[in-house]
Amino acid sequence: MTSAVTITRHGGTGGTTAVAARARQVVKAYGSGETRVVALDHVDVDIARGRFTAIMGPSGSGKSTLMHCLAGLDTVTSGQIYLDETEITGLKDKKLTRLRRDRIGFIFQAFNLLPTLNALENITLPMDIAGRKPDKAWLDRVVETVGLAERLKHRPTQLSGGQQQRVAVARALAARPEIIFGDEPTGNLDSRAGAEVLGFLRRSVDELGQTIVMVTHDPVAASYADRVLYLADGRIVDEMHQPTAEQVLDRMKDFDARGRTS
Amino acid sequence: MTVLKTSMRNFLAHKGRMALSAVAVLLSVAFVCGTLVFTDTMGTTFDKLFAATASDVTVSSKDAAEGGETTAGNGKPPVIPASVVDEVKRADGVRAAEGAVFSTAVTVVDGDRDNLSPTNGGPTIVGSWNTNDARTMDITSGAAPKGAGQIMLDADTAEKHDLGVGDGLSVITALGTHTAKISGIADFTVTNPGAAIFFLDTPTAQKVLVGEDGVYTDVNVTAAEGVTDEQLKQNVLAELGGGYKVLTAKEAAEANQKDVEGFMNVMKYAMLGFAGIAFLVGIFLIINTFSMLVAQRTREIGLMRAIGSSRRQVNRSVLVEALLLGVVGSVLGVGAGVGLAVGLMKLMGLMGMELSTGDLTVAWTTPALGLLLGVVVTVLAAYLPARRAGKISPMAALRDAGTPADGRTGWVRAVTGLVLTGGGAAALYLAGAAEKATDGSMWLGLGIVLTLIGFVVIGPVLASGVVRVLGAVLLRAFGPVGRMAERNALRNPRRTGATGAALMIGLALVACLSVVGSSMVASAGEELDKTVGTDFIVQHDGGQGITPQAVAAVKATEGLDRVTEYKWTKADFTTPDGKTSDDTAITAADPTYATDMRIETVQGKLADAYRPDSMSVHEDFAKDHDVTLGSTVDVAFEDGRTATLTVRAVTSSEGAIDAGAMYTSIDTLARYVPADRMPLTLMVLASAEDGQKDAAYAALKQSMDRFPQYEVRDQTDYKEALKDQIGQLLNMIYGLLALAIIVAILGVVNTLALSVVERTREIGLMRAIGLSRRQLRRMIRMESVVIALFGALLGLGLGLGWGATAQQLLALEGLKVLDIPWPTIAGVFAGSAFVGLFAALVPAFRAGRMNVLNAIATE
Repeated sequence: MTSAVTITRHGGTGGTTAVAARARQVVKAYGSGETRVVALDHVDVDIARGRFTAIMGPSGSGKSTLMHCLAGLDTVTSGQIYLDETEITGLKDKKLTRLRRDRIGFIFQAFNLLPTLNALENITLPMDIAGRKPDKAWLDRVVETVGLAERLKHRPTQLSGGQQQRVAVARALAARPEIIFGDEPTGNLDSRAGAEVLGFLRRSVDELGQTIVMVTHDPVAASYADRVLYLADGRIVDEMHQPTAEQVLDRMKDFDARGRTS
Repeated sequence: MTVLKTSMRNFLAHKGRMALSAVAVLLSVAFVCGTLVFTDTMGTTFDKLFAATASDVTVSSKDAAEGGETTAGNGKPPVIPASVVDEVKRADGVRAAEGAVFSTAVTVVDGDRDNLSPTNGGPTIVGSWNTNDARTMDITSGAAPKGAGQIMLDADTAEKHDLGVGDGLSVITALGTHTAKISGIADFTVTNPGAAIFFLDTPTAQKVLVGEDGVYTDVNVTAAEGVTDEQLKQNVLAELGGGYKVLTAKEAAEANQKDVEGFMNVMKYAMLGFAGIAFLVGIFLIINTFSMLVAQRTREIGLMRAIGSSRRQVNRSVLVEALLLGVVGSVLGVGAGVGLAVGLMKLMGLMGMELSTGDLTVAWTTPALGLLLGVVVTVLAAYLPARRAGKISPMAALRDAGTPADGRTGWVRAVTGLVLTGGGAAALYLAGAAEKATDGSMWLGLGIVLTLIGFVVIGPVLASGVVRVLGAVLLRAFGPVGRMAERNALRNPRRTGATGAALMIGLALVACLSVVGSSMVASAGEELDKTVGTDFIVQHDGGQGITPQAVAAVKATEGLDRVTEYKWTKADFTTPDGKTSDDTAITAADPTYATDMRIETVQGKLADAYRPDSMSVHEDFAKDHDVTLGSTVDVAFEDGRTATLTVRAVTSSEGAIDAGAMYTSIDTLARYVPADRMPLTLMVLASAEDGQKDAAYAALKQSMDRFPQYEVRDQTDYKEALKDQIGQLLNMIYGLLALAIIVAILGVVNTLALSVVERTREIGLMRAIGLSRRQLRRMIRMESVVIALFGALLGLGLGLGWGATAQQLLALEGLKVLDIPWPTIAGVFAGSAFVGLFAALVPAFRAGRMNVLNAIATE
């Protein structure tokens, strides 16, 4: 589906390897002794550049934790995480913040936008914070692609939920990050608005060569991805390439059944 | 019951958010209680002192003032003959009677000619050492004075000036200078709040203080066993007849208390006034806190309503929380108040006014009043937010969780604010244009109240404009962080308005008073330049008279062209219209006074008033009594005969110096007042020969070196002294206003802290997409600075308006020059920016420490 040609050039700081991010033997544990809970149990994962990766799994499987760790929002107990060639585990807050600002984009489930800023200001916020001038042509293209050109001066409260999420996607894209992390980006949307946003994410991978990692529990959402990783009990238990919604749903049912019988 | 339970839980759950409001209540209550405890303690100290020092019955001259500390204009205390002692002894029930002499019209200096008088306004007393004194004082070292060469002093003064037995002291009175060596040091058994007290033996005291033997100022009478003071007084009165003042210990103490009560009441009510301002500012803080808590709890309250709580229950639950806050804040405040009083006593101790914590007086009314005030004010302030909470619809529970809706400012508010401010401005205009000071001050008061309320109401409306301007000027340089700070300050104008208004109140008063103060200095300076034609002024800063010896010393100084004495005495005037005005006074000076002071006249020339048997009256008096040039006025001098003087000048009522004075010459005065009753000179004006000013000033200082109790000043120094005096007063007021400003700063901290909590998710989002801690902290600091500057701008504007109006009004009283102290104003403005930075310290730190994951996970 994705051609290798579009992979070559993207991201503000420019990644070169085929793997945008990788985790090596990552363990994330909360508490200690009796109350110790392991959220991630020696996870190894490679996120391919220019691909759309979905992370799925039942509640408590550790999928959000994995994403937070990959994105430099959370610290790991042991193991290494690399963004391109940079090891981010062990980085201090200052460097992590800069890394998130310059090399990573985020789309959260809800509350993605600052209510005091209008749509355009929200989109350029990461670059404004960094003191960088947005690339005008790129910005126009992004705005056009998300179909928000008419609503740039609107405040978030004047936008629908779907529009708000599209602004969030535009923000994530505008700074040309090496990788975008989405945490249930369509979780709060109805199916039409959700499809709109997912279609847009798909296009940004296909047309803009963006790398995207998305956590979801929705098989339909996962079907937009190139690859689906299944997490259970803090471990990657399976993966699927070029999935359809039916396949994903079947696999999930399978997990549920196994979860009940085991 | 459930209401109470939920309130209780809410209160405890949000105790951090309540803390600052509680501190505001605490501070205000503490200030009220502290003031009351402090003044009550002072009262107790004086009560004990007076009760201890008064003898059972005291006999003194008819002329002695109540309380006995008095001096006639001639610098000598009124006396009674020594024979009175024997007469008193003949009365029934007298165990002992002893004559005593004391005077407060004295200056005592040490060997280095340093003045030993208390700097705190307490009196300097020199007296004879009597059994009555021995009753309340212990000689801690040396011995009581014996003979002309010995003097004893109180331990506090000795300690303060590092004096010991054998050191030399000089007692300076109107009669001359008496030098003696310290024979002993005596300590009070009760607390002596700050008088400097010196003892001589009785014959020496008579000689030094009164200048004659065989007279006393008081006779201290001790009652025999079983005789009450009242009986004793009656017996003594029966024996002496009515020619003397006879007071029981109780009466004497009461008379003395009346003396200090006036001062204490001024202090008490001034401090309570400032506590009131702090309360007012605290109200804003409490309103803001509860508004924000209610806003943050909208969903929760919606749920309560959805499951069946009535409006009243919701309303009440917020009020009960306020009640808890009020009780906690007030109880702590009462405790802090006692601590504050002790602190004030220590501070007064440093300034030379000794108060003992042993006398600490906490009347039951003090905590009661503190609690009542604290609780009532808190609950009243929470009433509006509570009502708003009651109005929250059950639908709120179903709505998406998010940040509470940003407050909007309404038309009603804008119009109300404009009407109030406009009304206030009109009142201020009327005050400025008023012909009579009484009307004017009424308008001024109304104008101040209306503009203040108007600004408070309109504050949120102004906030959007002012914050935008401030943002454009200050924040643009900080790029997107500055822009977000500006937007944050703007997003809830009501909150920004209320927070700024709290700061506004204190700063408005500072600005107003600084304008009035500096206008006073400028006006006085201009008046001096315009009126004063003399070079040097010699006077006693405590208002005591200048001794003939000192006057002679001035006159003997080389390089002086002329020297003018200036005296003052009470006199009753009987005018041709048949009316007698008492409580009037006449100013007697040498004829050169007309040259030294360019006093404006409306009729005649002032110089003519100095011709024999002549005088001047001032314009208003002339109008009231139909007096014109050539009219005669019968002047009954106190201590002298009645003279018939011819009016030869009518002075203008314009002009602030000697306003309302009537002038005559000293020569005229001397014809009607016997030499030994002649009032002392109050002020000596001296002018240098041409071109000799500097030399003459040095020479004059040199020749007055022997009289350290008097200040010699040229015009520049005089203005400087005046400026210092006003400056000190202003500093004291600023110090008291600091309380209100501190509460306002707490308000800024509180608003920011609550805003940070409210914006947890936003902050998390911004941190996630790459806002650094530094940038986040800077954003919060800038928001804080903008809020503080907004308050400062409003406050300073308001204060300048008030100050300028007050000056216009006081122009009637001689405050002719409007002088706006721009450096002070600019300093306050810049200082407010620092206040903003300071207030943001903790909230910014806490925001920076927020965990990004928790922040974005917050539902």
